[in-house]
Amino acid sequence: MYFLQRTLPLLVAFAAGMIGIFTYYIPVAQPVEITTSTWYRIIAAFALFLGIHSLLQMHWNRVKRKQAGWAFSAVVYIGFIVTAILAVYNNGHGPLQPMAQGDGLDLNWMYTHIHVAGGATMFSLLAFFIASAAYRTFRARSAEAVVLLVAALLVMLGRVPIGALISEHLPTVSQWLMATPNLAARRGILLGVSLGAIATALRIIFGIERSYLGEKGQ
Amino acid sequence: MIERLLNIDRRIIYLAVFLAVCIPLLIGFELPIKATPNVRAVYDTVEGLAGKSDAVVLISFDYGPSSQPELQPMALAILRHCFSRNIRVVGVTLITEAVGLAMQAFDTAAEEYGRVNGTDYAFLGFKAGGAILILNMGQDLHAAFSEDIRGVATTEMPLTRNLRSLKDFDYVVDLAAGYPGVDEWIAYGQERYRFPLGAGCTAVMAPDFFPFLQSRQLNGLIGGLAGAAEYETLVGKRALAVSGMRPQSVAHMVIIGFILLGNVVYFLHRGASRS
Repeated sequence: MYFLQRTLPLLVAFAAGMIGIFTYYIPVAQPVEITTSTWYRIIAAFALFLGIHSLLQMHWNRVKRKQAGWAFSAVVYIGFIVTAILAVYNNGHGPLQPMAQGDGLDLNWMYTHIHVAGGATMFSLLAFFIASAAYRTFRARSAEAVVLLVAALLVMLGRVPIGALISEHLPTVSQWLMATPNLAARRGILLGVSLGAIATALRIIFGIERSYLGEKGQ
Repeated sequence: MIERLLNIDRRIIYLAVFLAVCIPLLIGFELPIKATPNVRAVYDTVEGLAGKSDAVVLISFDYGPSSQPELQPMALAILRHCFSRNIRVVGVTLITEAVGLAMQAFDTAAEEYGRVNGTDYAFLGFKAGGAILILNMGQDLHAAFSEDIRGVATTEMPLTRNLRSLKDFDYVVDLAAGYPGVDEWIAYGQERYRFPLGAGCTAVMAPDFFPFLQSRQLNGLIGGLAGAAEYETLVGKRALAVSGMRPQSVAHMVIIGFILLGNVVYFLHRGASRS
């Protein structure tokens, strides 16, 4: 059991990591990359099934235990079942045919009138919350906050056409803020994050970081 | 009075934002829209392909319904630009949610310009794999996408028959709102296969990609609805994005007004507390 639970996953992680590095950076090893990347895509496709299983199990438990908001979990089930039936039915063409377009209630209708409309609505609500949050929290409490506030106002004005009506220099100032101080800060963050990602990847490849096995890192 | 303003009912703010969005949608007025250099760079690259025979642009639709108000007008503007210049377009997506949106964009633009599916444009749909799919497309496009969304083999379609790798595209544009998106197209696509890459993204993501513009890994960037409006203006076909600039401009002004009011009230309250 120890071999299956501990040693084998570590060996797989080591082999996968090393193959990934060698096939990417060594030109003669690149034909292997075609095979491994195809494997990866097959595994990723199966991960979708795993995701569906995990989602349905989580919501089933909520419904079964009548946890707070269990009705929303029931909606998840209804949505999933109806969508799956419409996808399999595929306007009478069956699940193995390309998606058929119809005029009535079908997968495309569900997508356009529920998924797209709902998604856009959820995202648009952000404008209301941002306005409320900005009013309450965006305060010039310190010198740094003043710099942030002024920069934010200039970018907000410079990024919309009405800014150019107020002053023709606003778009230029906004562009400079994005392309110079913002760029410098972003590059610093990007380099830091990338170095951290490399270090974490090496720790996983060499078995130092084992949290993905349910262990604490050593 | 100051206390009341400090603890203003959030519904008043919501109402102000609601009116700031609705009224400009109902009342038409013109706003000057001037293209920024990053948007113009994408436009110029597509425009530069206009004279080239058999020019093909690849668009990766990597956004879902939540970000479609910003990115769908962008996709339509680029498709209209390509079709108006007889440039052929291949579409793919790395996320499942984008399939319907991409199909809608292709159908709308193709109908306007009378373009034929399979000859002038093709939508290859979604395949699992995310960033690795980009790598696969660079290795062998026909293996990564053996058929298009209709089930027609890519080795048989006139448009895709001779396209074997990402290197065969004259320009690649990634329209993205998250993962997998622009970062992955740079790391696994542009860096590896060396093709010109442009990007479109939500306004909130745009600042993240400025380092890639300076390093020329991206040759242009369309940021948010404002970027889409700039592109529509350059193309000369003002549509959803340009009309969206009115409510967005007024909403920005209202939010700025609330921020300034919030600060005035804050300092008045602080002064009163000290005295």
